Amino acid sequence: MTLRVAIVGYGKMGRIRHEAMERHGGFEVVVACDTSQDPDANFAMVTDPLAVYDFNPDIIVCSVPNMMIPDVVCTALERGKHVFSEKPPGRSSDDVRRMIAAERAAQDRVLKFGFNHRVHDAIEEAKKLIDAGTMGELYFMRGVYGKAGGPDYAQSWRNDPAQSGGGILIDQGIHMLDLFQMFAGRFEDVQSYVQRNFWTDVPVEDNAFALMKNADGIVASVHSSATQWQHTFRLELYLRNGFVSVDGILSASGSYGTEVLTVALNRLDTTGNPIPNPESQELRFTEDKSWDKEVAEFYDAVVKEEPLRCGTSQQALDVMELVERIYSADPEWHRILQDQTPLPDQAI
Amino acid sequence: MQTPVFLDHLPDVNTVTGEKPARYRLARNKALLELMLDRDTTWTVRRNCPACGGDCAKSKNFSQTLLEFQRCSDCNTIYAQRVPSQQTLDRLRLDIISRKETGDTGNTREFEYISLMNWISLTEARLQRPLDKVVDIRFASHATAWPESTRRLSHNRSWDFLPLSLENAGFDNIGERLRNIAPRAVLMPTELDRVADPEALVRTIKHSVPAGTVIFIASSCADGLEYEILGADSPSFIPLDRLTVFSIKGFEALCAKVRLSVLEISTPGRLDAVILDRYFKTTENSNIPFWSGFFREADQNRLHDLQILLQRSLRSGVLRFVLET
Repeated sequence: MTLRVAIVGYGKMGRIRHEAMERHGGFEVVVACDTSQDPDANFAMVTDPLAVYDFNPDIIVCSVPNMMIPDVVCTALERGKHVFSEKPPGRSSDDVRRMIAAERAAQDRVLKFGFNHRVHDAIEEAKKLIDAGTMGELYFMRGVYGKAGGPDYAQSWRNDPAQSGGGILIDQGIHMLDLFQMFAGRFEDVQSYVQRNFWTDVPVEDNAFALMKNADGIVASVHSSATQWQHTFRLELYLRNGFVSVDGILSASGSYGTEVLTVALNRLDTTGNPIPNPESQELRFTEDKSWDKEVAEFYDAVVKEEPLRCGTSQQALDVMELVERIYSADPEWHRILQDQTPLPDQAI
Repeated sequence: MQTPVFLDHLPDVNTVTGEKPARYRLARNKALLELMLDRDTTWTVRRNCPACGGDCAKSKNFSQTLLEFQRCSDCNTIYAQRVPSQQTLDRLRLDIISRKETGDTGNTREFEYISLMNWISLTEARLQRPLDKVVDIRFASHATAWPESTRRLSHNRSWDFLPLSLENAGFDNIGERLRNIAPRAVLMPTELDRVADPEALVRTIKHSVPAGTVIFIASSCADGLEYEILGADSPSFIPLDRLTVFSIKGFEALCAKVRLSVLEISTPGRLDAVILDRYFKTTENSNIPFWSGFFREADQNRLHDLQILLQRSLRSGVLRFVLET
């Protein structure tokens, strides 16, 4: 069965999704909407997002800036379309709640968000190792995800809170938080420091540090940074019988390196105590299959009615609530946020 | 297919070049020479590479302890030009085991055992299916403390040990025991390079276990820098224990021929750097461009970095394969 696709927002992410759908073979892009037209497109292009419905799509791929996501998603669901949306899922947890309400009203329509880090090979391998029980009980996690700002950092919509809802944490750090919750469930108890160090004239954070604990006592710490001059992704999970870490994450830019999964089981001495520095296994992953896996899961959810495992609206809500908890746990940053102009009405 | 790298500290080179290994080497070479002088010994001449089937006429040859070896020009596997019968080989191995020349003492090899157990545990987790019944093929005969280590450290897994014995010479008995046990996994870390016909052994295992059985095999690796530079001069090159030193390409070819799926390939050898370091620092006239200078100036950190690079490049002197029937 071939699904007719409308892509709303045909920028970098929209094109990545388009390519993944072409590789899958079960999709046909019939129209895309963007402010700029692609002269090489072999499908219709429109500038009015509502015009995509004239092409009778089965699904809407939503690749627009955060502030527009709720409107695009809710409109699509109301019109009976399945929706694949980029993350972050809007600018706030209220945005997600609004989309969840639309999802419930649409009943059997699929809504999936693109938290692709869950399906990176190294992360999936780490999950397998932990789920098998070999590694034992999870004690704590550490995550660092950072980059060196980005092109036109100060001018980017990503760093305009009215459009994005926040800075590096909601844009990039949200992936790490999503992974934390994938491994350990919801984190309710949060302490944080949120800072603006380098781009002091930009009204969003360029660094966020958080220390969290869940109901089972599992502790996680995250550092999300836009001043991590050496692009870095590092996730460490320490368990009773050893550890698992993922260094690097395959990305479109390639600047975070290849994904290296390191896993070790402890060596015990004769009294049963771990001997330091156990032999570890290192596995390298060099091909980013995450886009293809996401598209395949979405297809199976729509066509075969298989339940979504990654990028559900509940996962989206959980992670947005955690982002907000981190922002508000730093009293100083909380005051800064309150002093800022309220978010303008969502509009498209 | 995955290619893990096994990261660990550098071992002491004396595990290969010390007095005890030297005694073992002498004993094995003495046994080989006696075998060659014995007119009753039957030898099978190999005309093709036991790995890829390449014509030995095209290979390069060298000799060690008067036994001629070939290095296959197609796949780089090293193999003895002629081999005694499996029964003879088994008898010689039992002789040396009975003299305790190979026996481990207490926990001296515990890290090696833990590495094997963790290899199985982590593979089991990645494959997402239980490997709860394992058959060890002959490793326990060389490593007497190994069964006790499995009892103490390998929980949730039952072990059967198929020992080397004169009554069970050849591979028929291995096949029969495997059919009776029907294991989920087979571990064979010391046989591939020591048997007369490694293909026959691998075929016996493949045809004697249920479909989906996972086979863990380790052996010496001809692609290792140790063998590339030193060849037969490597202290770990003991002819009777290196009748077939597979290359990665060679063993992959054998697996394809026997129709075994390759799930994982690695070269977790840890000794190349320290063996070469010892060689270049102690041998007169060892003048090889680049490497002589590299090793003469190398400290432990540089050796460690090199060993990891070799592993990452599948170029260390030990190979490990995870196969599936």
